Amino acid sequence: MVQLLQHLEPIRGLRRASTETQKVLDDLKVILAERLRFDTARVAILTAETSLPKGIAGSLGLDSLDFIEISLGIEDRFGLVMDEREDLAPHFQSLGTLAGYITGRLNDG
Amino acid sequence: MIPSPAAGQGQRVRWYAHGYNRAEFYRLAAAITWLPRALRLRLAGGVGRLVASLMPRERAAVRKTLSVVTGSTGRELDALTARLFSEYAMCFSDLLSTNREPPARLMAHVRSVSGVGHVDRLEGAVVCVTAHVGNWDMAGRLLASASARPTHVVVAVEEAIGLERWVRRDGDGVRFVSRSTPTVALTLMAALRRGEAVAMQGDRALGNSRDVAVTFFGRPAPFPIGPFRLASAARVPIVGAFCTLGSHGRYDMTVCPPLVISPGSEEDTLRQWVGELESLVRERPTQWFNFFNIWNPFEG
Repeated sequence: MVQLLQHLEPIRGLRRASTETQKVLDDLKVILAERLRFDTARVAILTAETSLPKGIAGSLGLDSLDFIEISLGIEDRFGLVMDEREDLAPHFQSLGTLAGYITGRLNDG
Repeated sequence: MIPSPAAGQGQRVRWYAHGYNRAEFYRLAAAITWLPRALRLRLAGGVGRLVASLMPRERAAVRKTLSVVTGSTGRELDALTARLFSEYAMCFSDLLSTNREPPARLMAHVRSVSGVGHVDRLEGAVVCVTAHVGNWDMAGRLLASASARPTHVVVAVEEAIGLERWVRRDGDGVRFVSRSTPTVALTLMAALRRGEAVAMQGDRALGNSRDVAVTFFGRPAPFPIGPFRLASAARVPIVGAFCTLGSHGRYDMTVCPPLVISPGSEEDTLRQWVGELESLVRERPTQWFNFFNIWNPFEG
């Protein structure tokens, strides 16, 4: 029984991570609706695959000032300070990559 | 209401592009860097006057701007127009030579510095908003040196990729950041969070909904709100900084008092900055280098 639970632990860990990421994704949708004034009906149907920057077909079309606003929303909602020297752009390519990045930062403490 | 950009907006050639932005001119400027500076500046000034006659579109735009700014007409206006092209060529010549000297030697080319204490007294991050006035690259370098902060200089994407290597040179605390993607704003926010400086030019509208009409020499002209929103979001002050070339061949650096900005006051602060720019342009009309109709950049 103990061995079985040990085998299941990685799967439970993945599920836990997936649930956390989904929660962050939902919070990001709230930021889009509240801070960037996106229509709530539109926000509801967004998925992890939805691209963020303008210039990409099917993306939300965020411009530089939108990215400033969304970063402020993330700092407020999740208590993170984004002062990295590393390029943050890859994390802000889609809702899914952004949710994954935030989840990782939260888990890093 | 801001006029919409012409159909060409978004393509490689933008409304602010001008005939000077060609690799041949950069090669020419680079080829004469070995000359003693005084001689090089005289030569560049002469070439600038000559080139003016080869750029009728730019010359007409500059003439129109100078007529509004100075109220001049006739021969006086012609002389001012020729002088602007000449002084642009001189600053352009320094861009590829004098500007590349180490910060300590740069000061030998500076006659006066006013207001730099404003930056010394600031703690933490700052957004420096400059304009296409005089030698703006020199202004960024001097400010980076004076403020002792890493400085991120935001630049437009060059229409001709070949020009990048001539004009972008990181080092001495200066790092060039190209406005190639909207996510560049995250890099700038992160830099400000670390207490660093960001330098941007604030006198060229972008042709989108982020432009704001501000009265400039009595007429509404579009200016970008971006630098002011960035500073407001990061809760850091705005400082105007300009570097103009004097008749003696040395530069005068002017740093304006910090403008404190808060959410909701961005447009007011933009108006204050445009007021500072207007004062400087009134004082040095032949060193504001925009070769298009600033009041209606997207016409035709």
